[in-house]
Amino acid sequence: MRNLRAWFLRLFGVFSKESRNRELAAELEGHLQMHIDDNVRAGMTREEARRQALIKLGGVEQTMENYRDRLGVPALESLLQDLRYALRMLRKNPAFTAAAMLTLALGIGANAAIFTLTYAVILKSLPVPHPGQLVRYTFRQGAMDIGLSGPAYEALRRHETVNTDLLAWSDAEFALQENGAVTRVSGAMITGSGFRVLELRPYLGRVFGDQDDVTSGGPSGYQALLGYDYWKQHFQGSQAVLGQALTVNGRVGTVIGVLPPGFDGLIAGMRADLVLPLAFEEVLHAPQPMRRHDGSFWLTVMGRLKPGESVQTAQANLRATEATVREEADPSHHFLSGFFAPFHFGVESGRTGRSLMKVVYQEPLVVLEVLVGLLLLLCCANTALLVLARVSSRTREFALRSALGAPRARLFRQVLLEVGLLAAGGLGGGICLGWVGAQKLVAMLASIGEPPPLDVTPRAAIIAFTASISLLSALVAGLWPALRAVRVAPGPSLKQGGPVSSSKGLGRWMVPAQVAVSVTLLFAASLLGRSFLKLLLENSGFRADGLMLANVDLRANKPTNVVATQSAQRMVEALESTPGVEAATVLSYPPISDSWSASHYYSVGEHGAVHSDMQTWPEPVSPGYFAAMGTRIVEGRGFTRSDANSDPVCVPSASAAAYYFPREDALGKFIYSGGEDPSLDGKTKPDPKNTCRVIGVAEDARYHSLREAPPRILYRPIVRDDLGAEFCLAVRSGNADIAAAAIRAALRRVTPTAVLPAILSFRDLVNHQLRRERVLVALSACFAAIALLLTALGLYALLARDVLLRTREMGVRLALGAQPGEALRMVIWQGLRLVLVGIVIGLVAALAMARLLGGLLFGIRPTDPFTLAAVAGVLLSVALAASVIPGRRATKVDPMVALRYE
Amino acid sequence: MGDKADVWQGTLALMVLKTLETMGPLHGYGIARRIEQTSRDLLAVNYGTLYPALLKLEQEGYITSEWGQSDNNRRAKYYKLTRAGRRQLAREAREWEQTTAILARFLSPGEESS
Repeated sequence: MRNLRAWFLRLFGVFSKESRNRELAAELEGHLQMHIDDNVRAGMTREEARRQALIKLGGVEQTMENYRDRLGVPALESLLQDLRYALRMLRKNPAFTAAAMLTLALGIGANAAIFTLTYAVILKSLPVPHPGQLVRYTFRQGAMDIGLSGPAYEALRRHETVNTDLLAWSDAEFALQENGAVTRVSGAMITGSGFRVLELRPYLGRVFGDQDDVTSGGPSGYQALLGYDYWKQHFQGSQAVLGQALTVNGRVGTVIGVLPPGFDGLIAGMRADLVLPLAFEEVLHAPQPMRRHDGSFWLTVMGRLKPGESVQTAQANLRATEATVREEADPSHHFLSGFFAPFHFGVESGRTGRSLMKVVYQEPLVVLEVLVGLLLLLCCANTALLVLARVSSRTREFALRSALGAPRARLFRQVLLEVGLLAAGGLGGGICLGWVGAQKLVAMLASIGEPPPLDVTPRAAIIAFTASISLLSALVAGLWPALRAVRVAPGPSLKQGGPVSSSKGLGRWMVPAQVAVSVTLLFAASLLGRSFLKLLLENSGFRADGLMLANVDLRANKPTNVVATQSAQRMVEALESTPGVEAATVLSYPPISDSWSASHYYSVGEHGAVHSDMQTWPEPVSPGYFAAMGTRIVEGRGFTRSDANSDPVCVPSASAAAYYFPREDALGKFIYSGGEDPSLDGKTKPDPKNTCRVIGVAEDARYHSLREAPPRILYRPIVRDDLGAEFCLAVRSGNADIAAAAIRAALRRVTPTAVLPAILSFRDLVNHQLRRERVLVALSACFAAIALLLTALGLYALLARDVLLRTREMGVRLALGAQPGEALRMVIWQGLRLVLVGIVIGLVAALAMARLLGGLLFGIRPTDPFTLAAVAGVLLSVALAASVIPGRRATKVDPMVALRYE
Repeated sequence: MGDKADVWQGTLALMVLKTLETMGPLHGYGIARRIEQTSRDLLAVNYGTLYPALLKLEQEGYITSEWGQSDNNRRAKYYKLTRAGRRQLAREAREWEQTTAILARFLSPGEESS
């Protein structure tokens, strides 16, 4: 305790030294005077009295020195002294300081930005107690993670034994009626077990229990919970909100509580401002509730593991019970083993909740983390080279200090401190850059309309991460120069005049390392870029020029399917009659929007062979479809207006035609739908009512996604109740404004009350679907460009220095008759040798990188030799360019001047 | 100075505390003189070493200081024992007595047999 107090006072003393020194001087003065007085009284002369007093004191200066050591902390003071010195050195060389700080800020900022995203998308835990105990049950095919059906959830809940309980959650968009106006509120529905599983306490009021998750929400109507932020904004954080009535989708509910701050729901990127019991689904999905439907997969299912259980035991438990669950969840065998056959049940950690973004962005983020890691390494290497150059030019200073008795540790610390200061500057710049960068990235990832509500404000975890990488970079960048500074031998260094020692030893390592990192980054960027181009340029089965689309939403009018279909058809007719519109059609889903649809069809071949498929995409279309979308008819003809009234006809896509009629001509053949699959018993006759005749074959179209193989599509004319209240209009016109005006006019004429939709070009949709790729390409290209620049600068600096150091040698060579061209070749070859080594190492690293990229590439092999060769070529030319300037300087050495130099 | 013992750090603090207890508030010069007198000039206090010791005691909270006027009208800093200082003095004095008693027993001849 006493010691602590003393240390505290000493630390404080470091800063109040001036006044304490003056005080001590005064005290010693008093001391001496009293002593002199005494001595004079004892009979000495004044001179003698003073001399004796001083002897007895043991020297004023020495006393003050001892006193000062005790007053403060000498180690700390020498550190402060070094720090002040380091600051002065950095201020003295603003160009060097700015270059080094900027380099580090770039590297650190890029890392901070990517880490911010990674944290928000992948790492952030749900804000509930013990999130590590949560698991999530999945039903997915590759990246398509669609959730569980109501019956599957119930069956799983009955049979699994590793969790205390399960919950089901679904995000939802509610129509909230307030003061006569309807606003859309993003929200969610959750089972009564939900808050028990999450162990989430409300901020205010109470949360749901099982008694609230029943039809009509119980005797007092549906119970509602508000998100904290929404409550603050829309209810001014008023306590009186409890018990207040809300009208949601035409039904009255009561607010019973407010969720705790920070809880945005279980699905990252979707804010739950209003949470209702899952039973409300019967209102939201009326007239076809999905909770008991075997074929609707829409629920996010999570559980909390019992003590002692783990994700592994949960997986084992799932495998053991899966057969029973499948049987109970789909007694008809229509869905789980039919349309959804490619999907599999799984269970994984639920610590972070469910993230739709995680599915899409996890892989790219991992790649980006590796890329920025490499970039930071490069920035550190460059800073190290810069600092090293500074250290070598200060050889005399270090030698002098060492000769005057500075311990090696002190010199070592001096260099590290200077690099530390640079890194601190880099950290400041990096945090700003990272924050701005993360926001820009989120904006780039934004869906059409609003950005995903990803939280990218710098949090403690992010700042801690950024600070630690800065510290690490300071160590990496400073260690080598510091070691060199310590190795300076005082004798020879002091004798020689100018800066000595070449950076050969270090250059031999640094330049190839930089080149290798650049090769890897450039290779990743070119692969991603070429893959992106392929995605853009490859025939999608649609013609983008002049194609405009609009998503129409008539839900507010609550039309039946028949009414909605009629409205859509009248809109198409209105569009077709507009001058300037070449063709128009209605679609049930917008193309390339990752929506997915499948139905069961089969054909019977000439020899009775049945080709049955549950994965065919049914596409009811208007007669103008093929002309509007630009999908070519490769055989036969497209639809005409009269087709809707004749016997059913259809147009399969090329891959569908090849599937149903292998090695046969599809034209005039029949495709059947519905009823029992004849492949099951082989006897059932096809139902003539569900038969369509093939009148043409269309080219394949990547309807679902540009990244994936085209689905088998079966186009047919729209029948009376094909469409729901949401559909998509597509218009082809040479003029985008005419198309947009036509769509608005058609909508106003047919349903005047409908909300005017956003009108997008097909290119907007492409850009939107490829936003992940676009961000990856932009970022990796940016990183590669920085890497190339840094490498070129590094090489240039190294060679320029070398030429300077060898001026005399060059002079001698030239004087002895060497041609200037030889000097040039020598310098270039010296750089090139290092670059070649770097390229070889880099190519090996690039191939390792390629494995990481594999899943993100489209239509290009990760080991594409052309790309490898191109990257090596680019690096070589950049290296040549960087060595030409110092090389030319070498040829211009004047032998006389060089030789007289000494 | 050869036959006079130098005062080493630990004991100097104890002497300072004891001096302040006996004499009441006193300035640095007075403390030094008092220690010399008490030891009958057997101890040579290098006056300079006194000040860091006083500072240490002050930092540890055993003494406090205050500027004042000396007997012959010189400005001087007066040191005063705090309550913690009194306790510390009692503790250290006890420890010192124990140590010296043990050493005395060790060193006095003929005592081993008894």
